[in-house]
Amino acid sequence: MAKVDRQKGVRTSTKPPAPAGPHRDQPARKKGLGTFLREDHPYVLLGTSVLALCGIWLSMRPRSAMSFLAPYYGLEVALYWVLVAWVAVSVLALLTKILYKDDYRARSPFASEKAKPIERYLSYVVWAIVVVFFLDRAVMGFANTVSVAISSNSKPQGDDLAAVIFIVYECSGIFEAGILTTIELAVFGTVIAFFLALLLVFVRIQVPDRQDNDFVRFLKIVGSGFAKVYSTVVRGTPMMVQGLVIFFGVFSMLRDSGLSTQQANAIWSTFVAGLVVISLNSTAYMMEVLRGGIEAVDPGQLEAARSLGLSQWQAMRKVVIPQGVKNSIPALSNELVINIKDSSVLSVIGVFDLMFASNTAAGIYYTQTPVYAFAAVVYLILTYVASKLLNLLSKRLGAGSVDTTPSSN
Amino acid sequence: MADKHASQAPMAWGDDQPLVRVEGLRKSFGSLEVLKDINMWVMPGEVVTIIGASGSGKSTLLRCINLLESPDAGQVWFKDVNLTGPKTNVNALREKIGMVFQGFNLFANMNVLDNCTLAPVTLKKMSKTEAEAEAMRNLDAVGLTQFAKSPVTSLSGGQKQRVAIARALCMKPEVMLFDEPTSALDPEIVGEVLNVMRDLAAQGMTMVVVTHEMAFAKNVSDRVVFMDKGVIAEEGRPQDIFTHPQHPRTREFLARYLEDEPKEA
Repeated sequence: MAKVDRQKGVRTSTKPPAPAGPHRDQPARKKGLGTFLREDHPYVLLGTSVLALCGIWLSMRPRSAMSFLAPYYGLEVALYWVLVAWVAVSVLALLTKILYKDDYRARSPFASEKAKPIERYLSYVVWAIVVVFFLDRAVMGFANTVSVAISSNSKPQGDDLAAVIFIVYECSGIFEAGILTTIELAVFGTVIAFFLALLLVFVRIQVPDRQDNDFVRFLKIVGSGFAKVYSTVVRGTPMMVQGLVIFFGVFSMLRDSGLSTQQANAIWSTFVAGLVVISLNSTAYMMEVLRGGIEAVDPGQLEAARSLGLSQWQAMRKVVIPQGVKNSIPALSNELVINIKDSSVLSVIGVFDLMFASNTAAGIYYTQTPVYAFAAVVYLILTYVASKLLNLLSKRLGAGSVDTTPSSN
Repeated sequence: MADKHASQAPMAWGDDQPLVRVEGLRKSFGSLEVLKDINMWVMPGEVVTIIGASGSGKSTLLRCINLLESPDAGQVWFKDVNLTGPKTNVNALREKIGMVFQGFNLFANMNVLDNCTLAPVTLKKMSKTEAEAEAMRNLDAVGLTQFAKSPVTSLSGGQKQRVAIARALCMKPEVMLFDEPTSALDPEIVGEVLNVMRDLAAQGMTMVVVTHEMAFAKNVSDRVVFMDKGVIAEEGRPQDIFTHPQHPRTREFLARYLEDEPKEA
């Protein structure tokens, strides 16, 4: 008990020290926006110049049809020159600083107390200009690409972004169904696997007690052995192979029992098969996670419960397993994130998930890279959102944080 | 002696018959023989302290009494029941044998009150309110009623150990086993736990205490058992053991304490 507490204490106190970056505005933000705007900022010239260079680059990009700056060419030129002027002033300030070196604070006109607030307010003007250019070129440009792509009758040539927007728009039904199936497979699969894993881990950790009769002993040894073999086999083979074996295995069993192909397909649909595969696969991994969590519970907890007269099962159920499951929550929720990604291999048995949808769309339009890149982005969004949500959930349950960079099975 | 025993044990079990009896107990961990043919008994209402160097088998002996360790040979009797018998319901007997651990072992997933009520509600089919009333009585006895709803992690070591004692008392045990109850505590708060144990002894509870607190062994116990290398080297009344120990190992072990004694007195 004392040991556990001490470990907890260490865990909370060994947070990596916050990076000592030059973010001087961090505490200023707490003081309020007004103070922040007025306050001196050591990176006004340098940081804003980098931004101004980005603005200059944006302004040199071709205007799209939806550009709102197009009618005001003179204004655009003026804005462009403001940015250039800012960069020039910054270069000048830098040269002055180098020239005066040690006493530039006293001698450089750019570092005087009068010049500082002016520089600061001007930097906001530069920010605003860059935002205008960003909206005009990047945002309106993207909007234009979208509107052109979705109103097009055929796949736009030469522009991958336009092509993928066109394909996703044309195949939106396919992608919606695919994404939904992926989420369903991952969520239901993980939930089913959790309960199966609880059942299996209970069988796995059974040890013959001195009071058990021979039959109970036999059951415990067989059960524990089965759980070990199950875990080894499932974790030692790829899920894609498991999917193929289970899908075709059950299908031919149904056919052998006298059902027609159509009837067999109705019972053993690809979705059901996929859900069974992902559940059975995830069960093995979750069982190991739970076993680790349960074994991490101080053995004194079990001893104390047994010393009060509780049976092994009562002590496990009321004392050890609740603590073990709580220990396991971060790794268990990671399993959901892994399942979102790994469900993609189930497209091999024809489960209509996001991967299958992407294959279909890529095949229809004979466009591979942009479509698969789109699939990658969607997977990334799904896993990111899932891990953020689970993080919130596990914090609510007081069980530490989930690793935001999920590992693979 | 007879009166306080009558209040503790409602069953008719004579004062002249040992409550706990250990016969020919042997226990090995691998090739290490920890207990070598131990014979011991505890009378009703008696406070027995077991002292000895670390590794002498004190804790193992205590843990064999409620079968947290199963002995390799020998028998443990509670009243007229052989705990080591093949058909014995050990769980039912453990209800009558309370135990307090060195590491407290409070259930980390529950608050103080739930720690106390878990076993009575689960095993004695008590109603929750009934069990809670009983738990509050025992928490009051250790002076911790105000922490009833606190999570156990918020308590200090001494408070945790007092809760552990209250938790054991909630099962109304007939004998209490203490396994170095103060060894994990810092010297300043050892006293609060020892006081609770002293009260318990004064109320006539039968106790077996493994301890390094020589003052407690000397002043509170009725009998002191000195263990050395897996055997009981010497046992007797505390005044005998602490003033003129017979066995050379006992003299060696108590040497520092015997020297200090005149200064204390």
